Amino acid sequence: MTTLTRAEHRAPTDETPPPPRRRRSPVTWVRRGGLSTLVFLLPLVIVFGFFSWFPIGRSVVMSLQQTNLVTAPTFVGLENFRHVLDDPLLWTAIRNTAWFAVLALLFGYPIPLIAAVAMSEVKRMKGLFSALAYLPVVIPPVVAVLLWKVFYDASPTGVFNTILGWVGLGPFPWLQDAGWAMPSLVLEATWAAAGGTVIIYLAALTGVPTELYDAVEVDGAGLWRKIWHITLPQLRGILLITLILQVIGTAQVFLEPFLFTDGGPANSTLTVLLLIYRYAFGNSLGGDYGAATALSLMLAAFLAVMSAVYLRLTRSWSAS
Amino acid sequence: MTSTRTAALAAIPLALALTLTACSSGDGDDAAASDGPVELTVSIDEGLEADALAAIDDRIAQFEDENPDITVTTQEYTWTGTTFAAQLAGGTLPDVFVVPFTDGRGLIERGQIADVSGLVDELPWADGLNQNVAEAGQDADGDQWAVPIAAYGQGLHYNRTLFTQAGLDPDSPPTTWDEVREDARAIADATGQAGYAQMTQSNTGGWILTTLVYALGGRVEDVGGDGADDTVTATVDTDQMKDALTYLHDLRWEDDSMGANFLYDWSSINQDFAAGKIGMYVSGGGNYGNLFTQNAMNPDDYGVTVIPLEGDDAGVLGGGTLAAVSATASAAEQAAAVRWIDFYYMQKLTDQDAAVLDAKTTAESGQPVGAPQLPIFDQATYDEQQGWISEYVNVPLDQMTPYTDAIFDQPLLAEPGVATQEVYAALDPVVQTVLTQENADIDQLVADAQTSVESILARQ
Amino acid sequence: MSRWSTGPTSAEAGVLTRTRRPRPADPDDRGILSQADWRRPAVRRGMTVVQFVLLIALLVIGLAPLLWLAKAAITPTQDTLREPLAFFPHGADWANLATAWTRVEISRYFGNTVVIAAGSWFMQLLVATTGGYALSVLRPRYGAVINALVMATLFVPAVVLLVPLYLTILDPPLLGRSLLNSFWAVWLPAGASAFNLVLVKRFFDNLPREVFEAARVDGAGPFRLFWSIVLPMSRPILGVVSVFAVIAAWKDFLWPMLVLPDPTRQPLSVRLPALADYIELDVFLAALAISTLIPVLIFLVFQRMFLRGAGMGGAVKG
Repeated sequence: MTTLTRAEHRAPTDETPPPPRRRRSPVTWVRRGGLSTLVFLLPLVIVFGFFSWFPIGRSVVMSLQQTNLVTAPTFVGLENFRHVLDDPLLWTAIRNTAWFAVLALLFGYPIPLIAAVAMSEVKRMKGLFSALAYLPVVIPPVVAVLLWKVFYDASPTGVFNTILGWVGLGPFPWLQDAGWAMPSLVLEATWAAAGGTVIIYLAALTGVPTELYDAVEVDGAGLWRKIWHITLPQLRGILLITLILQVIGTAQVFLEPFLFTDGGPANSTLTVLLLIYRYAFGNSLGGDYGAATALSLMLAAFLAVMSAVYLRLTRSWSAS
Repeated sequence: MTSTRTAALAAIPLALALTLTACSSGDGDDAAASDGPVELTVSIDEGLEADALAAIDDRIAQFEDENPDITVTTQEYTWTGTTFAAQLAGGTLPDVFVVPFTDGRGLIERGQIADVSGLVDELPWADGLNQNVAEAGQDADGDQWAVPIAAYGQGLHYNRTLFTQAGLDPDSPPTTWDEVREDARAIADATGQAGYAQMTQSNTGGWILTTLVYALGGRVEDVGGDGADDTVTATVDTDQMKDALTYLHDLRWEDDSMGANFLYDWSSINQDFAAGKIGMYVSGGGNYGNLFTQNAMNPDDYGVTVIPLEGDDAGVLGGGTLAAVSATASAAEQAAAVRWIDFYYMQKLTDQDAAVLDAKTTAESGQPVGAPQLPIFDQATYDEQQGWISEYVNVPLDQMTPYTDAIFDQPLLAEPGVATQEVYAALDPVVQTVLTQENADIDQLVADAQTSVESILARQ
Repeated sequence: MSRWSTGPTSAEAGVLTRTRRPRPADPDDRGILSQADWRRPAVRRGMTVVQFVLLIALLVIGLAPLLWLAKAAITPTQDTLREPLAFFPHGADWANLATAWTRVEISRYFGNTVVIAAGSWFMQLLVATTGGYALSVLRPRYGAVINALVMATLFVPAVVLLVPLYLTILDPPLLGRSLLNSFWAVWLPAGASAFNLVLVKRFFDNLPREVFEAARVDGAGPFRLFWSIVLPMSRPILGVVSVFAVIAAWKDFLWPMLVLPDPTRQPLSVRLPALADYIELDVFLAALAISTLIPVLIFLVFQRMFLRGAGMGGAVKG
């Protein structure tokens, strides 16, 4: 497969040139298939128009409005942005989201890599190893969270506390402590996602040209030097990509804090997306949709920067 | 839910027999009958046990029999602060739904529910409503847009079995906060379960914390305190608030008698209490019905008493439930909706035959009859109604006497009147902090909460 | 595509950027360790230990939670609460499973999940194939504009759409009635996936043009060309899009929670958290076990396809 960017550059060139430009009557337009082309484009235009282009435009308008669907919307300029930036909870949410991202990198970045490198050397039952690693990814995320909520029971007879009790540890508070809650969330999220990352790395590892290993072995390189000087540099591209994707993904984390703790204890797991949700849907007497879209756009701006970085990296990588 | 239709069909013979005996009670053959067929969607609690659903289906069959033009369908619905707005904005609420007193004023001011005051005024009981209760469903002119169907005063629910296991007498529950603390500790030590637990999530943390503050003589909002105007000031930073939080802090950190879960909302604390994991907790006094129908609580375990009141101006926080009609309902649907509210919620409180029919139907399905409530009308009407249904009462009333004997003597205080849910939401993290951080700085927490409530009130 | 999920998602982009040419099958079949390394006893022994540890770790991480869930599903509540790791101290309670399936109506929510996944799948295929065909094969003049507009949405994160899309569902322009509580509210937005379109269009771009020309000469119109030539040639990419579509729909939570507030319309993912408050722990765990069993079985049957798809860029993580 080629990159997105390449496909774009190439697509228009390898085809017969479009018919020469001249004024056409509607009849010839139809005869040339203009109408049927339109029919084929109809689903795309309708679905994207209603459910993508229109809402995107609407979000920009709404961020400048005070609107709750009950009273008529009024334009308030940048008031929504000011209100959001003045909200002390915003900084709590940003801090928490960043903390989630850092923890997710600490837990979820090295372990799948180590596992994948070790698994790539497995000779027998490779399929079993992959299947086991991938199993948690198959479980629906909501089910996984609800199951781990039971595991995280903070009483001494909770599942994890019982196991750790066998070796004299705990009982730990897990979700019931402002310091413990976020790492607990990340642990579950890592468990749920790591298998997928392992499989990506495994696939990438098969792409490392073996001649490179042959070459350094001639120089007498040992295992660690081979990993350090061949394997990791060869994986550099995919590692960068998963890194950026993880940052983009964690910036939008919602499911775990929503279902595990609803942002608690004491707002210690309130994330940016959860705050957006609360702005929009948290008040029983009508949401603050203006503030919600304003914060969404700010988050989007951040993600756009990350995407730009990501694109730069992938472009330079695929060019190399 | 089993198919409503099938269950309703099966119930028709019974319903017919019942309505024959009850027909003298019908409030006449008035206009609605000529309006043509109406389909009405009414709310029922989420997650009901099968028997509870059967009881509701029976009541629907009776109603449809009295009102042949109206077809009733049910929709599962439980009010929660975080989902109601989406349902309201989305127009997905049933035609008849219930909201807490705290939302009544806001909904009415913004015209988000139908103005059915004209229809309500025609009902025989309309001017008999207890004025304090009626106000929750009235607009500024005193028009009754929404109907109060139940009122509660907070109670202290306790698990009699855990009391016994801890060597405590379940018939003499604690009467002071110090005794609550002692008993909680005894339960925690003896059984390993939470002696006392408290809600902390989805605005319920603020709700119960406010209850404790009221019980110690404090308030969280002051309306027109100094002058003649009705400006509202935040009164969060008070000694009573600090005392309440210090009290919780001591139970949690000095006694370790609050168990291991500090993230409870209304339904999850009910669930754990019904499962025998909680010794005592504070919630609405009429909570027995939900514990039984949604969480299958064993009646033998259940006990309830009044909240200890200490200090000057102490009172018990009270609230209630309003039945409201969707703003999108047509005129015919509004008429049908008010008839349903009258039939399902109100007649059983005011009319002997209706009360007996309701109690009999409910009891025959094995559902609770007779759980204590506060009067919607006056005390006399309430006592009279309790007399009508006494033979069907199947809840352990004697286990509720510590509550029922004392609740009517307690001064009832309304919930904070302005931006109630937002103020509660601002207090949630305060309770959570005290329960999850041993070195929480209560003075600082309270001062911060004062600031955030001030800014909430300033935006109103 | 799945919206608002955790973890390193945007697998989309992962697929788009995979540039590695697959290594030709290596007769030598070596990894980091060479055949010579493997002949050394120290390496052999070391690797055996490493692999044993790895296997144990994977069993504990991947399988143990599921086995515990299977056990807890048929264990009475009090046993699970008091001794969560004891093995049936008071016997098994098989009735939990039946209770979960019938009284808690997991069957209904399971059915909703299937309907939602099937509709989303169809919608995504419809939009991607017709749109990709028009833009790649028919190529109208204005195609470049539409293509650019679609590509632009690839870089707008889903979170921006949350509130405005929700309000659009509440009050869709021109339609005059709310789509809330209608499956269309999930199906239609699922179709607006630029990622699918890119995948399909790029595949169509690479189909041999001569075949199209030959068909045209034989008198095939655009519909015939689409249905009889292009679609049959595109089975591989349609399979990939289908797997992504079904899995994403199966896992989605926030969006169906917002637009399907009526419990009788909700899929498993939305209904299960609400049920936790109303049903006893043992029955709840049985419900979780049933909800897990089905995707796990599908995974075991189609293992190869899943892992290949995941390797292609982790897209399955959705």
